[in-house]
Amino acid sequence: MSETTGLADRLERWGSAAENAALVILLGALMLLAVGQIVMRVFFSFGFIWADELVKLLVLWIALVASIAASRSNRHLRIDVLSNFVAAKYARFPRLIVDAFAASMCGVLAWQSWRYVQLTIEYEDTVLVDLPAWIAYGILPLSFGLMCYRFLLTSGGELMRIFQPEADAEQEE
Amino acid sequence: MILLSIGLILLAIFGAPLFTVIAASAMLGYHHEGIDLMAIAIEVLGIASMPMLSAIPLFTFAGYLLSESNAPQRLVRLTDALLGWMPGGLAMVALAACAFFTAFTGASGVTIIALGAILYPALKQDGYPDNFSLGLVTTSGSLGLLFAPSLPLILYAVIAEVSIDNLFRAGILPGLLMLVLLSGYSVWVARNSSKELKPFSWRKLASALNAAKWELPLPIVVLGGIYSGYFAVSEAAAVTALYVLLVEVAVLREIKLTELPKVMRESMLLVGGILIILGMSLASTNYMIDAGIPQQLLAYITEYVSSQGSFLSLLFVFLLLLGAILDIFSAIVLVVPLILPIAMLYGVNEYHLGIVFLAAMQLGYLTPPVGLNLFIASFRFERPIMHVYAATFPFLIILAVSVLIIMYLPALSLLLVPD
Repeated sequence: MSETTGLADRLERWGSAAENAALVILLGALMLLAVGQIVMRVFFSFGFIWADELVKLLVLWIALVASIAASRSNRHLRIDVLSNFVAAKYARFPRLIVDAFAASMCGVLAWQSWRYVQLTIEYEDTVLVDLPAWIAYGILPLSFGLMCYRFLLTSGGELMRIFQPEADAEQEE
Repeated sequence: MILLSIGLILLAIFGAPLFTVIAASAMLGYHHEGIDLMAIAIEVLGIASMPMLSAIPLFTFAGYLLSESNAPQRLVRLTDALLGWMPGGLAMVALAACAFFTAFTGASGVTIIALGAILYPALKQDGYPDNFSLGLVTTSGSLGLLFAPSLPLILYAVIAEVSIDNLFRAGILPGLLMLVLLSGYSVWVARNSSKELKPFSWRKLASALNAAKWELPLPIVVLGGIYSGYFAVSEAAAVTALYVLLVEVAVLREIKLTELPKVMRESMLLVGGILIILGMSLASTNYMIDAGIPQQLLAYITEYVSSQGSFLSLLFVFLLLLGAILDIFSAIVLVVPLILPIAMLYGVNEYHLGIVFLAAMQLGYLTPPVGLNLFIASFRFERPIMHVYAATFPFLIILAVSVLIIMYLPALSLLLVPD
């Protein structure tokens, strides 16, 4: 038991660190690139044709990586009636259901976007002049897959708490 | 189909992440029409083809950085030096500072946390009734979302495909109207205060200006840059983010380099939440437009509603209900594509509609049962939620009146918009 918990803990820490690192790099790149574009435009009346597209791809990546982070930190936008008006004990079963639903949706999204990425490989689609498109679009199946895993974990956590209420204290964080 | 839709609505009410509910409804629609579900991946990639969207992560990051530094204190000090000498002065300081801060931080609830914590005790100490002070700071948390460069304005412009510069101009007078009405109420509440007025002091102003000297260029660069057309909004956002980063981390050193990843993550959580809903709704909206839902809606509405006036009243009630259950970002993304074509047929200007929409959704932050600001205030100031409802109620009424004025006086929104 303790070994698996240890591994799960380590996975959590690494996962968080990887998300943070990715967000720092992506946001930093977005800032520098966007300011760089202005500098080039104002002082050199010059711009790279790929810069605009790269900015947009960075926004896409930020959106998806931040979504993974949001599912870890339980910060996706929801209509949150349960946590405000229903005692935690009674909110568990509905939570279990909605998170299982979210996991299945993310699973379908991951699968469908994986199919799409395969298609772009087949057709040799490119972005940013001549970069294979799957490098940019691969974030789609990856992020939905990770979100699916996240929602499965929270859903499973709720299930455990229904059957083992005493586990609440240690699971709460 | 109907049963499944009801099931999805129930899932949403019980707290399923909205993006998954929207994804499900889009895929249900695709399946119904015999479209390959893979199309949803292509629609989500649409995030990468929308203009101006980079402004959203950049402004949000800048706003979170500012709220983590001591900029809120400096802002309150400066506003106090400017307005504090008037009757009801501190209340006006609170309103003005919050409006300004919210415009820059995108109405995400950080205003209550960053500024409310300073203003609430100060207001009470200054002799304002407790309920008034609590209501004021709760209300102020979303005040200012009609001023550039707030996120809801940017998002509306992106979704409705209207000129963002014009939308920024359209928000100025309606935003000021809200400020003026709330200030009037504050002065009225403070009318019997026995407290002596503080005299205006040039010295205090000079020292407050000096303390805020690093942040002062921001509004000038951003607002000046945007309104003059020198910067596109996304460029202004990039300059703002980089400038705030340099000032707060390298010059003032109020945020340590090691804290930076945490602030970045915090700010991007909100951005991720908004943009993923945007991505999914690109799919569901396209399906709904293909399926002719706006036309059906329109046919239904025109049967009962004949004039622009009654359409607007209906819209007002609808938006109040919408704001009570949905956050402003999801509401813009989901509802604007549906009501915009209908509103245009009733002769409602697209900029006017945007301002009305956002102003009405601003009420949603304060509408029981689930208004976001109510919960943030209840949590932050450790007050029972019912107490916060009651304290905020008079402010909610004033704001509702201002929304009605904005709604029935299109000129207020359109006066500053060039033809």
